[in-house]
Amino acid sequence: MQVLVARLIMPDRQQYKAASFCCHLLVGNYPDKAGGWLARKCIRSRRTCVLFRGVSGYHLPTRYPPRMPAFAFTIRKTCMQAHIPIRRPACLLAIGLSLLFQSVPAAEWPVIEQQARGQTVYFNAWGGAENINRYIDWAAAQVRERFGVTVEHVKINDAAEVVKRIQTEQEAGRTRNGSVDLIWVNGENFSTLKRQSLLYGPWAETLPNWQYVDTEKPVRQDFSETTDGLEAPWGTAQLTFIADRTRVPKPPVSARALLDFARQHPGRVSYPRPPDFHGTTFLKQLLLSLGTDPLVLREPVRTADFASVTRPLWDYLDQLHPLAWRAGKAFPASSAEMHQKLADGELLLSLSFNPNEGASLVASGQLPETTYSFGFSDGTIGNVHFVAIPFNASAPEAAQVFANFLLSPEAQRRKADITVWGDPSVLAADSLPEADREALNATATGALADPVPTLPEPHASWVDALEQEWLQRYGS
Amino acid sequence: MAAALRQLIHTLQTRSAAAPGLLQFPVLLAWGGMLLVLLPLLPGLWRVLAPGLTLTAWQALLQHSQFPAALAATLFSATASTLLALGLACWLLLQVYPGRWWERLQRRLPLLLAFPHAAFAIGLGFLFAPSGWLARLFATVTGLDSPPQWVTVQDPYALSLTLVLALKESAFLLWVLTALLNQPALRHQLTLARTLGYGRRQAVLGILLPQLLPRLGWPLLAVFAYGLSVVDMALILGPTTPPTLAVLGSRWFVDPDPTHQAMASALALLLLLVPVVFSLPGRVLLRCGHPDRHNPDGVRRPVGKWPRLQAAYGLLILPGWAALLLLGLWSLAQRWFFPALLPTFGTSGWLQADPAPLLETLRLGSLSVLIALPLALLWLEWGPKRQGWLYFPLILPALPLAAAQYQVLLPLQLDHTLTGVVWSHLAWVLPYMILVLNGAYRAFDARYLLTARALGLSRWRACLRVKWPMLLRPLLAATAVGFAVSVAQYLPTLFAGGGRFETVTTEAVALSAGGNRRTLAIQALLQVLLPLAGFALAAAAGWLSGRRHRGLH
Repeated sequence: MQVLVARLIMPDRQQYKAASFCCHLLVGNYPDKAGGWLARKCIRSRRTCVLFRGVSGYHLPTRYPPRMPAFAFTIRKTCMQAHIPIRRPACLLAIGLSLLFQSVPAAEWPVIEQQARGQTVYFNAWGGAENINRYIDWAAAQVRERFGVTVEHVKINDAAEVVKRIQTEQEAGRTRNGSVDLIWVNGENFSTLKRQSLLYGPWAETLPNWQYVDTEKPVRQDFSETTDGLEAPWGTAQLTFIADRTRVPKPPVSARALLDFARQHPGRVSYPRPPDFHGTTFLKQLLLSLGTDPLVLREPVRTADFASVTRPLWDYLDQLHPLAWRAGKAFPASSAEMHQKLADGELLLSLSFNPNEGASLVASGQLPETTYSFGFSDGTIGNVHFVAIPFNASAPEAAQVFANFLLSPEAQRRKADITVWGDPSVLAADSLPEADREALNATATGALADPVPTLPEPHASWVDALEQEWLQRYGS
Repeated sequence: MAAALRQLIHTLQTRSAAAPGLLQFPVLLAWGGMLLVLLPLLPGLWRVLAPGLTLTAWQALLQHSQFPAALAATLFSATASTLLALGLACWLLLQVYPGRWWERLQRRLPLLLAFPHAAFAIGLGFLFAPSGWLARLFATVTGLDSPPQWVTVQDPYALSLTLVLALKESAFLLWVLTALLNQPALRHQLTLARTLGYGRRQAVLGILLPQLLPRLGWPLLAVFAYGLSVVDMALILGPTTPPTLAVLGSRWFVDPDPTHQAMASALALLLLLVPVVFSLPGRVLLRCGHPDRHNPDGVRRPVGKWPRLQAAYGLLILPGWAALLLLGLWSLAQRWFFPALLPTFGTSGWLQADPAPLLETLRLGSLSVLIALPLALLWLEWGPKRQGWLYFPLILPALPLAAAQYQVLLPLQLDHTLTGVVWSHLAWVLPYMILVLNGAYRAFDARYLLTARALGLSRWRACLRVKWPMLLRPLLAATAVGFAVSVAQYLPTLFAGGGRFETVTTEAVALSAGGNRRTLAIQALLQVLLPLAGFALAAAAGWLSGRRHRGLH
């Protein structure tokens, strides 16, 4: 039976991997043994075809039943790309047989895990917070113990640098053994990578732990751009403000209130300098709070409308800057610098993407115990952050294994623990055991006490446009 | 196996001894090593600067909104810091030369030079910032509860950057002056002038300075180029909106937007041209001190009208100690909020400190020095006599060179590897080591080598058994200097290592943009302690070997 199918699909009986693929479709649990048996049975030479790894790993659907036309199309397309003659009836037969023996995803994952053993993943992630770095070290230790994968955390300041590095490598013709295996990314950086076809995949929805992901959350959209399985969600973020109760008993909860607050306390309010991503998000937050239509911002930016849409923002900033820290002539470099200044009282407000960062800063002694977090009454911008694999990654299998571990309930629970990192989980609540669900709901001093409504992120193209205009107006 | 190896070496030696001068094996090795380190920079520079040779790139650069203010800040900080450093060095020379305090200064100078720029800037930042220690003192005295709204660090006119740069570079210029003043001829002239009745200050002003200033041409150019291209100090103390040109350039180089890449190349070209343009009026200025210009009238100015400010040397030493003290206090601080003058102490920072950057720095430093030392010795012995062109990595701004090194390593797939990063460090470590060794090497009495050769040793064996052991102290000093240079490298580690190699310098600069001040202080202290440990080790090794060979060193 298997031999018949193999001969039908691959009339040129010389692809070893092709035979293995068929056996993955049909046999299931012991693909390698069966594949080896089939190979010995019906193949004479061993000309391997790299793309068949692609067929067996990338294009297959994860849910039953598969989307049939797409499935057939991808098999046919991949075979044609590999210059393997294939007949349409053979494709349909393969589909039919695969429906009967629906074990492909489970069969593929052990192969990936096996290939990943011994590989090293260079995980390029923002290294500006110690609690995040400690969490990544813990995850790396777990993955080394369980899967034999070594993870090196490459601390970066801004994901745009990594995008630039991948671009440079592509221009230099480096299509294998790239320097980046996994990158913590979202927003306009992901949009740039996707547009220039610099990403490996799709792979995200083939991970075994994808089944736990809460698809109600915007895990398939990144700043209004579809992810297409090219990046796996890792956690959620929401813009949160931090203040000290002894200095700020009543916080400003809207953009107008913030301006009045700055008037009462001149020289004590500021925000990170764009193009730092906290600063740009603060600008987007102001734009939304000042009444801009969110639907306009969901669309890509249009040069014709840009000036009129953003006029309220620039008018607001023109009023805010003379009252701001250093009269708006200088800005803190990052949210971390704002935390330092908040601790000393040089600034009265700080901001963060993590609703629980206030708590972890209090715990590490960087902020006093009277610190608290708040948000705007109309809501603050929230998003999901992801991990993606570049096209020339040297260890894509190990990167997938690591990303899968990061999506596991155990890792997500530990990540959401306020004493560790406090980054909210992307998993559906009912996928976690009872005790973990309670741990996720606990709050600590300094964290965001009451939930704040989440506003969706504008389109990725607004980021660049806002940054350029801000630099033009206030950059010097 | 060993016999075969010996046979091979013997054959090579006899063949090379018979070969004409240039083809001798050690000469080839010396030239080969030096060219391997420095020659690939040229195609790399071409690849970096080529996008900037178009008109559109220059137009985009000149029309960029941040360019004029950044240019003004950069030129001001570089020129003012160079002139201030020169002024400070000459003023100190006038005050304390010659005498007991000059000896003290000479002994302290290597420590000052070894204090890395980034750690120095961080420590002084902790002192002068609006929430720094001086402001806390002010608040304790006047009863403020919030930091005053001073603009002391990161001011828009780059004044704090200028002052701190001037302090650090004056130590370098004093070290150069020390080397220049070692000549006995100058001391004789000074003695003669004193005998003729001129005061000490008048003699130094009229005789020493006019002869020393023209010789300071190249060191001043190096100081100016460093001030133009410094990135780590500018990130910590320099203006932020807009930053200096070097910081802008380093940000544009890593930006995915191709316009920014072209602007960065044009900026790199500009940074290479500015020192050349400024060196011409600089030479004219230095020539003003030539004795022919002055027409001394022979009047003896009264001695002692202005008292000797021996404590002026404290101006150089005190900031270093203050920075060190503050770094120590912050590293031990458990909680330290404004306006407390002292923190609540705790060692949790040190216990939880990540040793990885320290070990990485040690590894890179030792490898660089282990490779550079033999190369330097080979070059000094068998290389050409004139080697000014060797020092061009020290004179040119670091940003274009680091970018060029990345462009060279990328097609060879050596970027992000240890080999690549060590090679990129060598481009600075090797010239510095040769610079430090050159004086002692040239001053070595040639008769020792002559005697050794007359007794039958080959040149190679004579060097190995006679010359180099006698030069042990300068060798150890050069090793310590090379190690310190490797520790302080920021841009090369960042570009060639691609973020995979975290040294104490990269960690300290990254943390200085925010983050836990305790961790920042710990990494900065480690950055200081490493070169100091290197110097201490070199001094101890020199002393130990001196015990065996008394009177030799």
